[in-house]
Amino acid sequence: MNKETLQQNHTESTQVSRRQFLEAAGFSVSLAVLSGCGRAPIQTALPFAEQPVGVIPGVMRSYASTCIGCSAGCGMLVGVRDGRPLKMEGMPEHPISGGGLCAIGQALPLGLYDNHRLKQPLKDGEPADWESVDKAITEQLASNGSAVRLVTSTVTSPTLQATIDQFLNQFTDARHIIFDSVSSSAILDAHEKTHGTRLLPHYDLNHAEVIVSFGADFLGTWISPIEFAKAWSSRRVPTEENPTMSYHVQLEGRVSLTGCNADRRYRLSPDEYGIVLSHLAVEISKLAGKTPPEGNLAASPISAEELSDLSHRLWHAHGASLVISDSQDFEVQLLVNHINHTLGNYTHTIDIERPSYQCQGNDAEVVKLIEELKSGSVSALLVAGTDFTHNLPDHDSLTSAISNVPLVISFAQREDDFASLAHFVCPDHHALESCGDAEPISGRVSLLQPTLAPLGNTRSVLESLSLWSGNQSSAYEILQASWKENILPRVQSEVKSKSFVHSWDIAVQQGFVELETEANSVGEFQPTAVKLVTKQPVEDEFVLTLYSKTGLTDSSHAHNPWLQELPDPVTKITWDNYVCISPTAAKELGVSDGDVIRVETKDGPSEIELPALIQRGQHDRVISIALGYGVRGTDRFANIGPQWLEGRPTVAAGELVGKNAASMIDINGGLFQYSRAGISLHAVKENRPLAATQEYHSLELPKHIAPPGAEIRDAVQTTTLAEYKANPEAGAPHMHHFSDKQLWAEDHTTSGPLWGMSIDLNKCTGCSACLIACQSENNVPVVGKDEVYRQREMHWLRIDRYFMGEDDDMEVLHQPMMCQHCGNAPCETVCPALATVHSEEGLNEQVYNRCVGTRYCANNCPYKVRRFNWFTYPQDDLQTLALNPDVTVRTRGVMEKCSMCVQRIEDGKIAASHSGIPLADGDIQIACQQSCPTQAIVFGDMNDQSSEVLKALHKPRNFKVLDEFNFRPSVGYLRVVKNRDDNHHEGGTHE
Amino acid sequence: MSEPNAPLRPPLVTGDKTLSDVTQDICEPLECRPNALWWVAFLTSLSFLLLGVVAVWYQVATGIGTWGLNKTVGWGFDITNFVFWVGIGHAGTLISAVLFLFRQKWRTAVNRSAEAMTLIAVMCAGIFPLIHMGRPWLAFWMMPYPNTRGPLWVNFKSPLLWDVFAISTYLMISAVFWYVGLVPDLATVRDRTEPGWRKRIYSILCLGWDGSARTWHRYETVYLLLAGLATPLVFSVHTIVSMDFATSVIPGWHTTIFPPYFVAGAIFSGLAMVLTLMLVARKVMTLENYITKVHVDKMCKLILAMGCIVGLAYSTEFFTALYSGNAYEQFVFMNRALGPFNWAYWTMVSCNVIAPQFFWFRSVRSCLPVVFVLTLFINVGMWFERFVIIVTSLHRDFLPSSWASYVPSWIELATFAGSFGLFFTLFLIFCRVLPVIAIAEIKGAAHLKKVPSKQASVQEKVV
Repeated sequence: MNKETLQQNHTESTQVSRRQFLEAAGFSVSLAVLSGCGRAPIQTALPFAEQPVGVIPGVMRSYASTCIGCSAGCGMLVGVRDGRPLKMEGMPEHPISGGGLCAIGQALPLGLYDNHRLKQPLKDGEPADWESVDKAITEQLASNGSAVRLVTSTVTSPTLQATIDQFLNQFTDARHIIFDSVSSSAILDAHEKTHGTRLLPHYDLNHAEVIVSFGADFLGTWISPIEFAKAWSSRRVPTEENPTMSYHVQLEGRVSLTGCNADRRYRLSPDEYGIVLSHLAVEISKLAGKTPPEGNLAASPISAEELSDLSHRLWHAHGASLVISDSQDFEVQLLVNHINHTLGNYTHTIDIERPSYQCQGNDAEVVKLIEELKSGSVSALLVAGTDFTHNLPDHDSLTSAISNVPLVISFAQREDDFASLAHFVCPDHHALESCGDAEPISGRVSLLQPTLAPLGNTRSVLESLSLWSGNQSSAYEILQASWKENILPRVQSEVKSKSFVHSWDIAVQQGFVELETEANSVGEFQPTAVKLVTKQPVEDEFVLTLYSKTGLTDSSHAHNPWLQELPDPVTKITWDNYVCISPTAAKELGVSDGDVIRVETKDGPSEIELPALIQRGQHDRVISIALGYGVRGTDRFANIGPQWLEGRPTVAAGELVGKNAASMIDINGGLFQYSRAGISLHAVKENRPLAATQEYHSLELPKHIAPPGAEIRDAVQTTTLAEYKANPEAGAPHMHHFSDKQLWAEDHTTSGPLWGMSIDLNKCTGCSACLIACQSENNVPVVGKDEVYRQREMHWLRIDRYFMGEDDDMEVLHQPMMCQHCGNAPCETVCPALATVHSEEGLNEQVYNRCVGTRYCANNCPYKVRRFNWFTYPQDDLQTLALNPDVTVRTRGVMEKCSMCVQRIEDGKIAASHSGIPLADGDIQIACQQSCPTQAIVFGDMNDQSSEVLKALHKPRNFKVLDEFNFRPSVGYLRVVKNRDDNHHEGGTHE
Repeated sequence: MSEPNAPLRPPLVTGDKTLSDVTQDICEPLECRPNALWWVAFLTSLSFLLLGVVAVWYQVATGIGTWGLNKTVGWGFDITNFVFWVGIGHAGTLISAVLFLFRQKWRTAVNRSAEAMTLIAVMCAGIFPLIHMGRPWLAFWMMPYPNTRGPLWVNFKSPLLWDVFAISTYLMISAVFWYVGLVPDLATVRDRTEPGWRKRIYSILCLGWDGSARTWHRYETVYLLLAGLATPLVFSVHTIVSMDFATSVIPGWHTTIFPPYFVAGAIFSGLAMVLTLMLVARKVMTLENYITKVHVDKMCKLILAMGCIVGLAYSTEFFTALYSGNAYEQFVFMNRALGPFNWAYWTMVSCNVIAPQFFWFRSVRSCLPVVFVLTLFINVGMWFERFVIIVTSLHRDFLPSSWASYVPSWIELATFAGSFGLFFTLFLIFCRVLPVIAIAEIKGAAHLKKVPSKQASVQEKVV
């Protein structure tokens, strides 16, 4: 159009005739009317016309359920508010967990509100509907159903097990194979050999006076860590009246969380476990007057006196001692059984009559399946609850074998490695959407109740399998039927005498029932099955140990950013796996932290390249790598943190979070070996920085700048049981105490409550459950790897971890550190805007909307617990559903820190005022305290003379951090007591 | 009377200048077009300023996270630069007010530019506390004003609040003092300027100065009073700045020596910066006859004295740490000297304690290139002093678990460069629009020294 015509049009259009005007007016009116008549957007936020019973908007309700984050089956209370599960808490009455809940359990909501979960079934990778998927699957199963193999992780649910059996019964050649990504198969196999039944015993640490663990990380990840931690901690509390403790020895190659908490930790390579156990078996057999196992003894890496001391201690506590190992070496497990048998621990600390079902993995079966797959004899492969191919070595040949299977079905919640190979993906519900049950330990059955309608068009495995067996019932109906028939009639209490509906309601409400179970019939112990191990380790080869990270375990939680950013309790590293290597070995190899190492196997083509982490206390011949990394889809976290000019992605382009170390698993003797010798290391000229939340790892100051006489800081005070017996206050440094002399008169006396906290460092294992509890409760943002690397993680509660001493006798101290709510708070005086003030109840309060962000308070905080919002931390829409509406989401430029869960305190006070019953000690539980598996944290009113917290603060073991500065913190710590006879090896903490 | 003094006291203005020469020489830069050198300097400074503006804009838009700070080191370049610039801003008032009260005539050559430098430096300083806030748009909350939030007042216990008062008072008094001193000179410029907008501006700025005896009398009274008022500020400002640290609990900050230590350091750095600028200005603006070697010599001596005080302060800190028996305090100082930031510490010591010692030698003091380099060293050293105090105290404090390091980001470096850009841009503009030497005052000082040449000029007039 040229200029002229444009002008013409313009002049035309401006001259509107009356007719044109009426035309236009009529058109716009009719348009408006028409658009008004159109379908309105679907209104999703409707008020309750009929409010569901008991649901009060804005009020949190707890539902008893079972955590299925791992197979340990801890009880949990799901805090649901306005139809949204928000906060997971431990269930104090639960017979297994007894009130604690680990980091994984706490982090479940973020896994629920995850937009990467599948929203519908997939058929050949394409979204499909259930009808067509079901039709296709049933048809194919009918035609191809000659050799059906169903792989699951450990199934503790009796209902699911029954459904699986029912499903597989349809086929002539069907097998259920249990595959655990980290298997304990050797323990079960060893019991089959020595006791005639393949079972996993239930270890009772409550009654164990002497615990000797060969590598078993029972406080971190092994079998049932929450249960074990609680039981272990029950014997870790010396009092003035009863100054006794259990004696815990850990022998391990890597540094595990459990090793950190042991009284005595030996560095022992996994290939030496057998030798040391053989020596112990011989010594103990001698003490017991029994014949030792056959075979010869090889030279022990541990001195004869120490071995003899250990065996005497074990023998002295026979019947109340416990020897355990996570070794997948069958011979080693046989020796463990022999020792435990000789010590008379079976039926006392080891229950095989009511065994555990928490790890049922059968490696031999899996190996057999792999062979079948490779030979092409499997016609249908179904996998539930585990990422089959991700967690197995020899990935390429396995996937090509699976590609030949005519029917491959995955029940994965997201497109994991195996799901990407499957013809059909039938996504399971998230744990919080599911209904189900669990019997982790024989006779202790708990229920899993759904706490919200499924977010996507998913379906539980229970329903899928039952549908394919021709039963159209819902999961709820299946569960109820199973309980009506099998569970409730066996309940111990009077519940069973009531009607089914009534007893079912009681069971659902309390979340678990205890059954009358027949004692498992176990054969006589077969001593002849046990032989001494003589195989000597090869000196110049490295041994690789694969382990699971505390708070992540395996690949199933790799999509949870809370857990990825949870610092490893030992290394304090986030967002990565790495090769732990001892300082000596690193020096020989010429690598420092972050230098990439290529780990190669001698006999196989397996290799992996990962950055090195120099780990004090690591055995010089042992390197260790965490499993559960390199998970498909974790490249989604590339841009998780703030994006800015110098910001680096959490995951580099084309990479994943960490690398999958499953390729290094050795299959030997029908068992998955997580330790393998014959490893060689090569330094690769590349550095990949690791993001750790702690950069300096000891209370020992750097030697060249330590002031003489003050080489060790006393932030964590320690003593030994021998010293404690002589003087309950042993371990306290000599210092001036100001607490009774104040410069200024006490002009802010409080008549109401004065909140305080006490943390028993002897109970605290450093497991970091509290950290996620705090993160979930207080809307603490995830910041990504680069920000952690820049020392800007936002966790309100951190666990300081200090390595003391060297190599063979390294002591590790853990100290949860959060705002100390100081009486003389240094942060309060320096804030120019009065954004941090002291409450009448002794809390140090941060007023977010008054804060201008000078950061002076953080600088002046002696405990460095304040966290600054350096950026706006991005969050996707679905994740915001996990936010706690009671806690403000902080904006950029604002300081934040532990509030001692002031929202819970206020809740408690409001509830008390409503009910008219005054607040009692223990009514208010703060998030970190609630979830602590060992109940190391006590919170309460320090003005209440009978409160637990005041009692704890008056214990002789109580100390306050930096007490000599008169900050008057409201948090006390109970001194670490190690069960040792010798005087403490650190001179600095006491004089 | 003045004759016998002549050989003892070298003249403050050399080159046989007449009164009109003085006026002409000093006013000339205002009346001609700037030379190429000025343009180069100006454009360079402006580029740095723009860089700084972009950096600050980005940082305010994105967050403090664009700086290299972390959970442990909450202040880095921001407060280092703040204290650095406040320190620079000290010499002006010291030279104008304190030396005025002590009747040091030589100050007349340098006081004007020193005061201008002070004002500009305090402006540069003021930027940093503002932008270091997480939410700088709420900076007005630092002001105690009646409000509808309760009213909610500020925390009078916080040294940051004292800072707000101290710095703003100092800026105000310094500006007034500088401006009052400018009034007679502005009148001179007005009188020399052709009618037009320039003349109108100068007429307004000189407040109707008529040069009468009464005006002079009032002017001198006001100036003396303002000098008296400004003098305590020289000490109070940096005392209060030091309290940002001294009232904290952080070892390395929590120390009673800080107020005098900071004041000495501030004067030291300010004098060094004045001397640096003077040496450039006398060359670039051909003011060698006004800013003579005598001035440089005197400045060097003052810097030497201050350098020794600063050195004493450094050693006293170590002694105090040792004598206190406080292991945390002792560790901080061991860590400063031998820890990861030891390079910063030893840069500071070499620049601030060792470098000025060369000023003991007359030959060094009279060799201007050497003096220039040494002043640069001191400027660098004094920046590092603040860096050492702030960063090395914070990065390893009480609990070893929280120890961290600090590396500035590019945004911080650009902001720092931008502050220099602002400083030099404003200073270069000042050189172009206002007399850089107090004409009225130097005439008084020069007059005494110029008896022989006065004779000659009288003869000239007779002819």
